[in-house]
Amino acid sequence: MQCFATLPDAQLTWDVPIRTPGESVLDQTRELEKFLADIERRAFRMAQIALRNEDDALDVVQDAMLKLVRNYAAKPAAEWRPLFYRILENGIRDLQRRRSVRGRLMAWMPGPKEDPDGDAQDPMDSVADDSPDAPQLLMQAQAMEQLEKSLRALPARQREAFMLRNFEGMDVAETAAAMGCSQGSVKTHYSRAVHTLREDLGEVWS
Amino acid sequence: MNENSPTTLEQRSRDLFDESVGNVNMRVRSRLNQARHAALEAAVRPRARFFDMPYAAPAAGVCAAALLAVVVWVGVPHGEKPMIASESQTSFEDLDIVAAAEESSGDTLEMLQDDADFYAWAAEKNANPDGNDVG
Repeated sequence: MQCFATLPDAQLTWDVPIRTPGESVLDQTRELEKFLADIERRAFRMAQIALRNEDDALDVVQDAMLKLVRNYAAKPAAEWRPLFYRILENGIRDLQRRRSVRGRLMAWMPGPKEDPDGDAQDPMDSVADDSPDAPQLLMQAQAMEQLEKSLRALPARQREAFMLRNFEGMDVAETAAAMGCSQGSVKTHYSRAVHTLREDLGEVWS
Repeated sequence: MNENSPTTLEQRSRDLFDESVGNVNMRVRSRLNQARHAALEAAVRPRARFFDMPYAAPAAGVCAAALLAVVVWVGVPHGEKPMIASESQTSFEDLDIVAAAEESSGDTLEMLQDDADFYAWAAEKNANPDGNDVG
């Protein structure tokens, strides 16, 4: 039988709620849901910038969610973010590789070629916008388009480093974990990315 | 301060990115929501067993067919000549007969309906052999 030195000790011990395994699984699921809900749109936009295709970006994000939940749900919540982005970046790279192989094959095949930009012109793009903020929105859209174009022109590792560090606000250690490289490499990739982007966007953004 | 200093570039690009995240359309938001729930369901659900996998059924079918082939092959007694074409042809003939019977099964049913009166009469006659014919 358990003995307690003082009455408050006993009360403290008995007041601690006993958690069943089912409750802890539920807590973890809630925590995972919150994490994914917080990160999903940002991850989608990062994938979309890299892949320039909405459906491909959605597929890659969905795959990353599934892999994180299946393989790393038991890891501490603090590790989820770098793990998630590592899975995401691997997915993006795999898809880009498959596209490159498909592109080489398609070049040998007869018939109509794919749109090099990967997306057809949307007729709605040419419809005039009557909203009062239209000029402001248009300028922002153009600036974002320019930024995306410059980011896509960067080498993959530099783009990853810039987006993780700058867009996601990860520190060097987290970025290194997400990219699977040393902290020194992250610093180099990031610095080169910023230098190239400044050269590219300098005229547009000044 | 230089307009194009990294700080300005970083800040401006981050702001633009954040804004673009806020402008993600409803279709994408809905798809992301579905994807999240699907992933979380997978976490609660135990991993699929071998026979739940989509490719398991065809693979099991192929294995069963291969096993059956081995059993039939090994089951043939030594010294017994294998089935030759002329013998196997009878099987095909049997199949033809069965197929023909199935095709004409509609006619057979019609014949049975035509003779229904006859069978009724025969049954009555059987039950009452001494009875006089009616009609």
